[in-house]
Amino acid sequence: MHYPWWNVPFLTSPMLIAIIAVLHVVVSHYAVGGGLFLAVETRHAYRTGNDAYLGYLRKHAWFFILITVVYGAITGVGIWWTIGLASPLATETLIHAFVFGWAIEYVFFIIEIVSAFIFFYGWGRLPARTHQAMAWIYAGAAWISLVLITGITAFMLHPGKWPETRSFWDGFLNPQFIPQVLSRTGGSFLLASLYVYLHAAFRADPGLRDLIAARSARPALLGAILIVAGGAGWYAFLPESAKAALAAASALNVLMVLIFAITLAVFVMLYLGPYRHPGWLSPGFAILLFVCGFAAMATGEFIREAVRKPFVVYNVVLANQVLPEEVPRLRERGFLEGGVWTRAYVATHHPEAMAGDTIDVAKLLALPEEERIALGRVLFQHHCNDCHAEEKGYSAAAELVRGWGREPIRSTIERLHEAQFFMPPWCGTREEAELLTDYLASIAPPLPGGMDLGAGR
Amino acid sequence: MDPADLIAPSSPLGYPAPYALMVVLKVFGFILHMIPMGLWFAGLPIALLLRRARDEEVRTIGTRLASAMPVLIALGINFGIVPLLFLQVAYHRAFYPATILMAWHWFGIIVVLTVAYYGVYLHAVGIRRPEACCPRLRQAAGWIAAVLFAAIGFLFTNALSLMTNVRAWPDLWARTSVAAAPLGTASNVADPTLWPRLGVVIGLALLTTAAFILIDAAYFARPATAAGGRAAGRTAFTIATVGFAVFAAAGTWYVFGTWSASIRSHMLGGARLPLTAATALSAGLPWLLIFLQRAGVRPGLAAATGAAQLLVLTLNAISRQVVQNAELLPYFDVTAEPVRTQGSPLILFLILFVAGLAVVAWMVRQVLAAPSPQRQGG
Repeated sequence: MHYPWWNVPFLTSPMLIAIIAVLHVVVSHYAVGGGLFLAVETRHAYRTGNDAYLGYLRKHAWFFILITVVYGAITGVGIWWTIGLASPLATETLIHAFVFGWAIEYVFFIIEIVSAFIFFYGWGRLPARTHQAMAWIYAGAAWISLVLITGITAFMLHPGKWPETRSFWDGFLNPQFIPQVLSRTGGSFLLASLYVYLHAAFRADPGLRDLIAARSARPALLGAILIVAGGAGWYAFLPESAKAALAAASALNVLMVLIFAITLAVFVMLYLGPYRHPGWLSPGFAILLFVCGFAAMATGEFIREAVRKPFVVYNVVLANQVLPEEVPRLRERGFLEGGVWTRAYVATHHPEAMAGDTIDVAKLLALPEEERIALGRVLFQHHCNDCHAEEKGYSAAAELVRGWGREPIRSTIERLHEAQFFMPPWCGTREEAELLTDYLASIAPPLPGGMDLGAGR
Repeated sequence: MDPADLIAPSSPLGYPAPYALMVVLKVFGFILHMIPMGLWFAGLPIALLLRRARDEEVRTIGTRLASAMPVLIALGINFGIVPLLFLQVAYHRAFYPATILMAWHWFGIIVVLTVAYYGVYLHAVGIRRPEACCPRLRQAAGWIAAVLFAAIGFLFTNALSLMTNVRAWPDLWARTSVAAAPLGTASNVADPTLWPRLGVVIGLALLTTAAFILIDAAYFARPATAAGGRAAGRTAFTIATVGFAVFAAAGTWYVFGTWSASIRSHMLGGARLPLTAATALSAGLPWLLIFLQRAGVRPGLAAATGAAQLLVLTLNAISRQVVQNAELLPYFDVTAEPVRTQGSPLILFLILFVAGLAVVAWMVRQVLAAPSPQRQGG
């Protein structure tokens, strides 16, 4: 509303955030847990004088750099890139609230990168003690990065006292902070072991594989326990609306069951496999573990995003890029009038509807039907397209109103948050609800044919 | 339509620190970013060309430059985030609309950067391990990466020039939107400042590459030979001369061919004239120092060249910031936003920043104190 809305056909632009975020988290957790793995295992290899293991760890460090320093770093920036495009008001708010949190995080990123490169390129050149120190510096910096970014992402789900105090620390140390740090730390341990298994299954000598399988099983099992503990805390400190969304949305019900089932399956496979029978670690087994871990992480991220609705930042920014405090004014004066770009659009395309500098919404209803539908589409783009594609695609609005007449559409628009509590309230006037109704009615397909519902008998 | 109508309102949260501090951090971060950015933007294609030279010493220069790329790119990406962070705090009212208008291009940078970065690794691995498979593919990967980095440079210049070219927004919006929602396919190629600005960036990148070659030859090449020093001096001089010429031509075009009367009077009059003049003339200093080393690298002069190039980048970054503010002034005043200083997070950041630098310095010292690896051949 304050900014132009990016139209991404079929998918909707916020879905790009979800895609990039999922692609990033499966690597960013490895960037943290893998760092700890390299620090602990390099120390072990030096202490035991196991040159073969050191050789393997060097190969793994190269794999680690290629995955985390390149792909992980770029997709991390990619999330930031994408949220600015697809959710600019929320990004503006987060950056104003936490710019120094991010700035501190980037200090640690620089330490991570320098230590990771020195750890790898200094292999065989640095004294053993210094070499290990580089690994530990990396591991510490990476975990602190996790803590810092978790404070900000947890804030999006529950900002604590921040809406009243606007204090950095109230926002950062929010009720979701500790549970999410726990579960993300656990996720890092678990995922790192799964990456290690995947790499070792293909690149380690058979003699080493057993050692790697056994040594990485404990952190993986500990990680799974931390995920469950953090997940329980996450649920306990969810806002009421998020708990209600979990209970109400059938898709989320299925995903919740899925995530527990997959985590349990991974736990059992880890226990029976690498922990009890290290010899089981074959390429197929490692791939299966990795795919399950990936699925659990992706599901977890999707749920984390979905339960925030109708907010992008709980009680701070609504999903349709409106601040809650703006809603009464928009309902009184109009959504088109309140939006910077929508107002400019109306002033340019419908000067006859302007009364001086402001939009006279009553005049918009007097426009020809075609133009009313076009304006309804403008409203749809800026009010609804965050979560709904138009006629086809992600949660397409046309499919949601299939077979509806004008009246149910209009009354649903006017009572959006009552009809579905995880949708934002209608942020426009009654006249604008009529315009949006015109548009939705124009794209609503008829009821599917061939259904015998008994009504006509 | 009045383009000023498209400017978003101020953030109700206000600036988290005084504007002066944020702009200092933004410019500081940008200077840090420009060093590695120049090296991958101009240095990568130059490295690839040098590796095809007949002279073995020149090939070695190309090899060393290409080998450094993975580390330089990693540092450059992270240094680039700092200015973008403070840009989004202080300039969000112009930055978001501009990037949303060209969203697919802006978003595409992430994809292109990923491919380019892996291309660099593919190429660099071929240098480290000449016995590795597919030498032609690795060579091609280097060139593809160089082209993609050039494309990224173009897209960045495009977006950041569109950010201040507010008067172009209404037309671009009208031509590339559906139901008032941008499709994200706009491009700022009609902006007369775009090409000379890109030219200035190329000129600066070439000068940075030349300075890097001299410093590397003077302090890091092992064994340091007289022939290697001569090759470095000769090569750096050629690159710097081209860079200086491009910078001078593009800068002249930019100032006298594209600046509006108001920006010209702003930058060429009063207290800002010395800054503008220093920015324009400063590029001559590293060129002169490189000229003095064309027959062979001298460590003291090489260090001075690096310092001079840092000064050039600093002056350009400061001038660019002053121009950016002046270009946006008809639409909003970035210096006049309300401030709600976040004292303790700011202090914590500054403390950790200094501590972080100390840790990095300690780590780098450990590497420098360690025995050098074998000199790599071309």
